[in-house]
Amino acid sequence: MILLQSHSRFLLQTLLNRVQNLEKAIELDFQWVEFDDVRYHILVSTKNPNVLLLSVSLPIPPPEAVFTGGLPSGAIEAIKAAYGVVVQILDPPRDGFNLTLKLNLSKLPPDEEHRHALLVKIASVREVVLGAPLRVVLKQLGSRIVAPGVGRLIALVHRPKESFFIVPQVEKVTVVFPMRFNDSIDTALATSFLQEFVQARRAAGLNNAPPCLWSSTPPLEIKDVPPEALSANAGFVSFVILPRHVEGKKLDRTVWNLSTFHAYVSYHVKCSEGFMHTRMRRRVESLIEALDRAKPGVEEGKKSPNSRSFKRLSFKDTRSNSNS
Amino acid sequence: MDPASRPAVVIDNGTGYTKMGFAGNVEPCFILPTVVAVNESFLNPSRSSSKANWLAQHSAGVMADLDFFVGDEALAKSRSSNTYNLTYPIEHGQVDNWDAMERYWQQCIFNYLRCDPEDHYFLLTESPLTAPESREYTGEIMFETFNVPGLYIAVNSVLALAAGYTTSKCEMTGVVVDVGDGATHIVPVADGYVIGSSIKSVPIAGKDVTLFVQQLMRERGENVPPEDSFEVARKVKEMHCYTCSDIVKEFNKHDKEPAKYIKQWRGIKPKTGAPYSCDIGYERFLGPEVFFTPEIYSNDSITPLPDVIDKCIQSAPIDTRRALYKNIVLSGGSTMFKDFGRRLQRDLKKIVDARVLASEARHGGEIKSHPVEVNVVSHPIQRFAVWFGGSVLASTPEFFAACHTKAEYEEYGASICRTNPVFKGMY
Ligand SMILES: Nc1ncnc2c1ncn2[C@@H]1O[C@H](COP(=O)(O)OP(=O)(O)O)[C@@H](O)[C@H]1O
Ligand SMILES: [Mg+2]
Repeated sequence: MILLQSHSRFLLQTLLNRVQNLEKAIELDFQWVEFDDVRYHILVSTKNPNVLLLSVSLPIPPPEAVFTGGLPSGAIEAIKAAYGVVVQILDPPRDGFNLTLKLNLSKLPPDEEHRHALLVKIASVREVVLGAPLRVVLKQLGSRIVAPGVGRLIALVHRPKESFFIVPQVEKVTVVFPMRFNDSIDTALATSFLQEFVQARRAAGLNNAPPCLWSSTPPLEIKDVPPEALSANAGFVSFVILPRHVEGKKLDRTVWNLSTFHAYVSYHVKCSEGFMHTRMRRRVESLIEALDRAKPGVEEGKKSPNSRSFKRLSFKDTRSNSNS
Repeated sequence: MDPASRPAVVIDNGTGYTKMGFAGNVEPCFILPTVVAVNESFLNPSRSSSKANWLAQHSAGVMADLDFFVGDEALAKSRSSNTYNLTYPIEHGQVDNWDAMERYWQQCIFNYLRCDPEDHYFLLTESPLTAPESREYTGEIMFETFNVPGLYIAVNSVLALAAGYTTSKCEMTGVVVDVGDGATHIVPVADGYVIGSSIKSVPIAGKDVTLFVQQLMRERGENVPPEDSFEVARKVKEMHCYTCSDIVKEFNKHDKEPAKYIKQWRGIKPKTGAPYSCDIGYERFLGPEVFFTPEIYSNDSITPLPDVIDKCIQSAPIDTRRALYKNIVLSGGSTMFKDFGRRLQRDLKKIVDARVLASEARHGGEIKSHPVEVNVVSHPIQRFAVWFGGSVLASTPEFFAACHTKAEYEEYGASICRTNPVFKGMY
């Protein structure tokens, strides 16, 4: 459950709602933002209840990973392949967005199961668009096509003004993430988490997972990258993706997991902090209980209101609280 | 990029339901039950301190850390498996379990809104009775765990008043009648400031109505599977209950024309999958009646809601009273019953008029007082008025200046969260 799903929960909920109530003409105008600065806007007007305009704005790419025509390379083809006749790409997109899709809900497949699958795919539009270049490379790996760009380094944007790097080869694709965090505690936690992550990969039972490495300095594969793109305060993680990792249905998952690897680590770091806070609160609670027990003539089991915080309590605080 | 350029995240954590979404929208993205299901089989409460045990505890903790659900998923999990225990982090409008609360927020942020908390300012809500300590803990969690760049904790009733912002001129003086799931508060506000000494509570809220409906259906011997009866009662309440103007007349109406008034409920037994159906009768109007005639539900002598509102206004400073009577704003899911506002207005007007008459009689009819205008305001977004008010306020430019920032938190500590300024966007 700690993995992030590839579809936007809210987008899917809205689409399902809309499709179930197509006969009701309502107005919808929603804007929201997901991690890595992906923004969405949906618009439905009462005049045309079958049409839903979905606009997406992507993270601003750094200089080494420029977009062509406002989108990652291969995105247009990926959209057409994924959505078919239901979706039309509007050119130009709405102001402030990289992409506007016009969904024609009356053209959805009549069959319940297919329709649902297609709606989930539409709700996963960020995977389709941002993951397009990576998917092309991994697909070539899966079918062992020797593409002209073999061996050449590609930079792909995954966060605002930040990219990760892939080196496609015939038998494998190496993916390198420079890891950056804003907060010093996050950086420390992430660094140790990543080291453990690499350790865990060695455990029995994970032999089929992609090999991965962590290093504090840029690995050799990306030595040609300009140094500005390589500042990382939590080291570098690299994965080696082999053809067996992109077979059939695995391709989608691999694309998604790689393009949101940073978000995954960051989510995990936040969870760990929450977990530590829980333990700190318990510790404070048990210390206060111990103090209470040590005091003569105080009735037992009374909890002071502060005991649930993990705040550093001075001895004086504790005393005055449990006296009250 | 500056987080202030992105919409703020607005989360209204209610006792029963959490409303969350992004500022600038007219509706929250998600409304889900405020409940966490934790897999207790991992949690080992023994506090022995030996090293080996620590390690076991640690990994058990890590598992428990991952194995939990919130909202509707939590309810579904607890129904289908015995290993999950439900925890309600908020009781009567106050956070009661901070561990569960922190997990709940974690899921809201990462799994529902799917946003990076470092990218957004946050607006959270609290009840007018929340202690400053509790606000500090909220600040600690938001700044330390989630690294939010800025935080504003607003009083929910003030937000409910601000929800009128767009529908009329923003009137920041009024009485908010907030009837949620677990708490009912009557909160007078003058110029955006809560008149703390006059806040009143009624020990009846949405959950009590559900319990009463459940009890009525059970006593009549309706054939509802017991494990489902609370949920059914809640749905019956939300779909079919209404406020009547007079119980005796309403009983007569039902008896005369049962076909018109008695509704049917159809469900499926969760264990056997067999369909069942049952009748919905008097509970349709008796449910909401508990606010007006509490003795039908409880033996404790509880004051009816209109009288409490009147008492609340009478205890407020004398120069605010007329303005307060004029702007009584409904908020919360349990004010959604049909004609709830109308009944409240009528009952309240009766009390006020009686008092005016009595005082005129005392003065022998020599002094005529101005009639007091009583106005109960309903609006369509009442169900999440608090959230909507938050959404409106958090999209004003003043909001970002009124927030406590991460830098301030690091400089001065959690105590900065004790107070939040009332800012200009509120007028
Ligand atoms: N349409 C409705 N009619 C009556 N009650 C409703 C309706 N919708 C929701 N409720 C009730 O409102 C309560 C939730 O209200 P809410 O303001 O969200 O509570 P809180 O903020 O305390 O969590 C629940 O008891 C729910 O059953
Ligand atoms: Mg509420």
